[in-house]
Amino acid sequence: MLAQLIKVEWRQLSADRSTLAAALLLGVAIAYGAYNGAQWVRFQNTTLQSALAEETERLAAIRSDIPKLTAGEKKVSPHLDPRSPAAFGRGVGARYAVMPPAPLAALAIGQSDLYPYYFKVSTGSKQTFLQNDEIENPAHLLAGRFDLAFVILYLFPLVILALSYNLVSADKESGTLAMTLSQPVRLRKLVLAKVGVRGTFLAALALGLSIVGVALGGADLSADSAGFRLLLWVAVVILYGAFWFALAVAVNALGRTSATNAMLLAGVWLLLVIVVPSVMNVAVKSAYPVPSRVELIQAMRVAGDEATRQGSLLLARYLEDHPEMAPPASPGSAAPPDFYALNIAVTEQVERKVQPVLDHFDRQVANQQAMIDRLRYLSPAIVAQSALNDLAGSSTHRYQHFLAQADTFHRQWREFFNPRILRKAKMSAADVGDLPRFRFAEEPSGAVTGRFVIAFLGLLAAVGLVAIPGLAALRRYPVAG
Amino acid sequence: MILTIARKEMIEMFRDGRFRVAGAIVFTLLAGALLLGWQHYREVAAQHSAAQKATREQWLGQGKKNPHSAAHYGVYAFKPKVPLSLVDHGTDPYTGVAVWLEAHKMNEFKFRPAQDATAVQRFGELTGATVLQLLIPLLIVLLTFQAFSGERESGTLRQLFSLGVKPADLAAGKALGTAAALGLLLVPAAAIGAGALALSSSNGELGASWARVALMALSYLLYFGTFTAISLAISAWAPSSRAALIALLGFWMLNGLIAPRAASDLAKGLHPTPSAFEFAQRMEVALKSGIDGHDPQDARDQRLLQQLLDKYKVTSVEALPVNFTAIRMQEGENHGNEVYDVLYGELWDTFDKQASIHRTAGVLAPGLALRSLSMGFAGTDFSQHAHFAKAAEEYRRMIQREMNGDLAKSPTNGSGPYLAGEDLWRKVPDFAYTAPDAAWVVSRQASGFAVLLGWFLVSVLLAIWSARRIAVW
Repeated sequence: MLAQLIKVEWRQLSADRSTLAAALLLGVAIAYGAYNGAQWVRFQNTTLQSALAEETERLAAIRSDIPKLTAGEKKVSPHLDPRSPAAFGRGVGARYAVMPPAPLAALAIGQSDLYPYYFKVSTGSKQTFLQNDEIENPAHLLAGRFDLAFVILYLFPLVILALSYNLVSADKESGTLAMTLSQPVRLRKLVLAKVGVRGTFLAALALGLSIVGVALGGADLSADSAGFRLLLWVAVVILYGAFWFALAVAVNALGRTSATNAMLLAGVWLLLVIVVPSVMNVAVKSAYPVPSRVELIQAMRVAGDEATRQGSLLLARYLEDHPEMAPPASPGSAAPPDFYALNIAVTEQVERKVQPVLDHFDRQVANQQAMIDRLRYLSPAIVAQSALNDLAGSSTHRYQHFLAQADTFHRQWREFFNPRILRKAKMSAADVGDLPRFRFAEEPSGAVTGRFVIAFLGLLAAVGLVAIPGLAALRRYPVAG
Repeated sequence: MILTIARKEMIEMFRDGRFRVAGAIVFTLLAGALLLGWQHYREVAAQHSAAQKATREQWLGQGKKNPHSAAHYGVYAFKPKVPLSLVDHGTDPYTGVAVWLEAHKMNEFKFRPAQDATAVQRFGELTGATVLQLLIPLLIVLLTFQAFSGERESGTLRQLFSLGVKPADLAAGKALGTAAALGLLLVPAAAIGAGALALSSSNGELGASWARVALMALSYLLYFGTFTAISLAISAWAPSSRAALIALLGFWMLNGLIAPRAASDLAKGLHPTPSAFEFAQRMEVALKSGIDGHDPQDARDQRLLQQLLDKYKVTSVEALPVNFTAIRMQEGENHGNEVYDVLYGELWDTFDKQASIHRTAGVLAPGLALRSLSMGFAGTDFSQHAHFAKAAEEYRRMIQREMNGDLAKSPTNGSGPYLAGEDLWRKVPDFAYTAPDAAWVVSRQASGFAVLLGWFLVSVLLAIWSARRIAVW
């Protein structure tokens, strides 16, 4: 019986021109979204490659320049002299910390267009290189990107609703429902067949095209855990789609006309995809306001002025804390501390002073995130967004992970140069080979999977919350009248 | 006749619980968004003006220093929050809030507020503009999609026409009824907005704002008019209410969700944005070797020195009556300025061209033109960010000229390093920025306005035409 129902449904659906139109629309949108995501990944990769090529070239030039400078065959101004560890570490020899796009990055651009994905790490304060934003027309950042995640979050539900807003009501309005149900078949079975056919069709379309699109776009599916993550991505898309089908069934179960169903479903879509997220955004911002960053700038300035005034005092204190870095005592060393040594102490002092302000910013954003994590279950769109970004590696989590590694590298970089600066050592060509190097380590799979499971259960709960009462209400569906 | 129809429409809407609920939700969101926008504006504006004052005091109180050290110390320029941002934040969350004005270098604006928010921000913010651009048009669709098709389906259309009601009058009455219903929602909201604006504009910006307010309101009214007329046209033309609803929802989605993203891609495709890395590399080369890459700094310095030696008829740097280092640094500034003008000019020109693509693409989706006009009149679009950035850069150049000019007069071979004091710092006036007036915005947004006006006129004609040719069955 079920097989027959499915066959009939499929025939009806495929004969309907609007199905074809909806499928075509979704197909085009998915292909375009996948293409856009792949383009963005390519852009990032090209940028990173040229940055690393520039670094290699620059360091090679330094290596060959050092002997020439020592021999006096070449001249360069002191603040650009690679033999000076201060000049080397601060600029001329600075190295990049790079976060390459994750294997599935093309699936969701997410936050990756907002946060920097590489830093030129120097011995200077972190604030001097952390703001390495990609150039982008801010109007485009505001509009958002037409990527696969956009198609899945916004358009996929609409296509689902367009194919199922009159799931039962159409049959009732055309009079075929009573006829069908006069056969030995239950309404619930009929609805399941209808949903099954539509769901399978749309899921096959959406997932098939996405995967093909992303694979053609150059996603590296052989990479570690990429296949597994793709599987999880598929699960999110299926569950998210299931939610909207369940919603259509529940609304149909109310027994209203097709036009009313369409309005109601459009209203719920608007509420869950547009209104709830924007209200939530405002709510978390009001609950945990992040002050304007001008406060940070001011704090840095004040701390900087103060530290500069105390300069030599700070250096003395710094050397007390780090006796291992003190320059070897030379007979009659009453010489004034040099500028670069002072600079180390001043920078460190400014960083220490500013840290509480930075912590305040981080804490507020973390509080906002925690509040979103609790409230996001109010809209499956937000749950799905966080899961999709996470799996694609374009979430804030991965960015934070990168920041922490860049921080460690920054410290290593300083530990390499600061003692040399204080010792007034000269950089040799051989030192270039010993420089610390940044290697990005992916977030452990467990962390991503852990977050995924929570989101997955949230979506599952949403589906159940809508589907169970919906299916129950179908029992009381007024088939006639 | 038209008024009778309009009254009937209104009564019908009020009796329908769905519209009462939808109207109440939209009004609450709009009023809430405006109040929150106002609060946000007040906080940020206060923070920025306090910071601007503090940076001035730091500049004046920096003590005795060499003028070049002072130039390196520099000042910050904090982008002021414009009052109308309480309606439309525009690109504000995605542009940096402050720029450091220091010697030698034109810095980028740092700290985009969106970087201090969660990913939910990317769904869009609850602002007046969101409600006006997304929710009100949807409300219009829900109010009007059945205007003709519903009458036809219930059989009342024949009755009306048999009474001698002219189709155009019917359309006008329905449009008027919808407008009146929307007015009940928009007028109080506008009053809240205007009140908030009046309260927040105490510092003399009020005068400049009202022309912007009026133009912004006009843009929104044209857009709502367009949406109403299109809805009526489609309702008359569509075979059923259902078809009308689906077509109108599609049109709404095109305007609100798809067009802005697609237009961004189109704009970027036609006028590609360079990567930050590429841009920085070009900048470095141009600063080092001249814009054409064939004029290295050493050669430039050499020429400058020769000129000065010839001018003062001496043979060595030491014999010059002026400070060569200062003159060379100013020459470096001039060279840098030339490079910045060319490279940033190109970049901003690219953004300008991209913005104009968005406006032109408004021919296909009027929502694009409206977005652009709304941000433009609010003062939160990129061109007005660039306007501020240029003013800040001019100020930076002025500081450099003052500092290098003073240093140039200082003796080269005096005793000890040359130090200047507060007298010199005071020669640099406080940074005062005046936002461009409404006429400036109009001159840049004219094409968007024309597009929106065109849509309005065409859609009204379309509504009348469809109503005249309506099929009674």
